[in-house]
Amino acid sequence: MDTSQATGSEEELIEKLKEQDPASYHLAVRTYSPGMLAVARFYLDPSTAEEVVQDCWVTVIDAINKFEGRSGLKTWLHRIVSNRCKNKLRSAKREVSTDFQEQLDPDLADRFNASGRWQTPPKLRFEETAESLLENGALSDCLDKHLSKLPETQRSALMLYEAHQHKSEDVCNILDVKPSNLRVLLHRARQKIFLMVEHFQETGEC
Amino acid sequence: MLMCKDLAGIASDYIDGELSTGQNLSVKFHLMMCGDCRTFIGNLRMSTKLMQAHSGSVPNEEFIREIDRRVHEALEQKKSRTTDSD
Ligand SMILES: [Zn+2]
Repeated sequence: MDTSQATGSEEELIEKLKEQDPASYHLAVRTYSPGMLAVARFYLDPSTAEEVVQDCWVTVIDAINKFEGRSGLKTWLHRIVSNRCKNKLRSAKREVSTDFQEQLDPDLADRFNASGRWQTPPKLRFEETAESLLENGALSDCLDKHLSKLPETQRSALMLYEAHQHKSEDVCNILDVKPSNLRVLLHRARQKIFLMVEHFQETGEC
Repeated sequence: MLMCKDLAGIASDYIDGELSTGQNLSVKFHLMMCGDCRTFIGNLRMSTKLMQAHSGSVPNEEFIREIDRRVHEALEQKKSRTTDSD
């Protein structure tokens, strides 16, 4: 079931896409490709993921005529990508590798003693807003670096969760994972980002 | 009783409001007593906000341009096909 319905300006865009208007495709490609790439990278290596997203856009030109707006355009596009990825995996007989077991990142788990209390507690508090912290270009670069080191499934799950305004149901439908598994992926990704930001704030180094 | 380590394990669910009422209460109770965990939750929230503020950018221009190129090629092809059949 979809919770996101097509909105006003989105309806106009969809009509234009059905009319095969080049400028509207240009706009849609810019708007939706980042999210589509995040879906593809949940399943595939980076270069295959890019290929899949490119192929999807070409099929959208025909498929858009069958789009009825029951879900939002974004959700629909994301589902096209995930279906194509799953087909590709099926033909290659590969599985999506996901580490769902552990709730705590090992580096974070190490910071508690045997009785479960903090041994190395977080020291710093952030007084500034996220936006003003990011004005430090070095922190921004460091985030990029660490995001790129996250397992694809964790990074994609996190990006899609943000892209779909925290609607777990949509993200689970698109990626075909259980809600509990999505939660673990989010936990792990956020813990890594937390550790990175903390290290950066303490040492000024990435 | 909920320990700091347990709390860290469900902190992300707490931030997203995904905990059951009972769990939510025991987290709130723990946070009242434990400054370290308050700091942890605050910082985890901040790193989540950082991610949100940061995630706008992502894929490279080259990739987008390549899609643009292929889409326009496909649109042209369709157009010439429909004019041929007219
Ligand atoms: Zn605590």
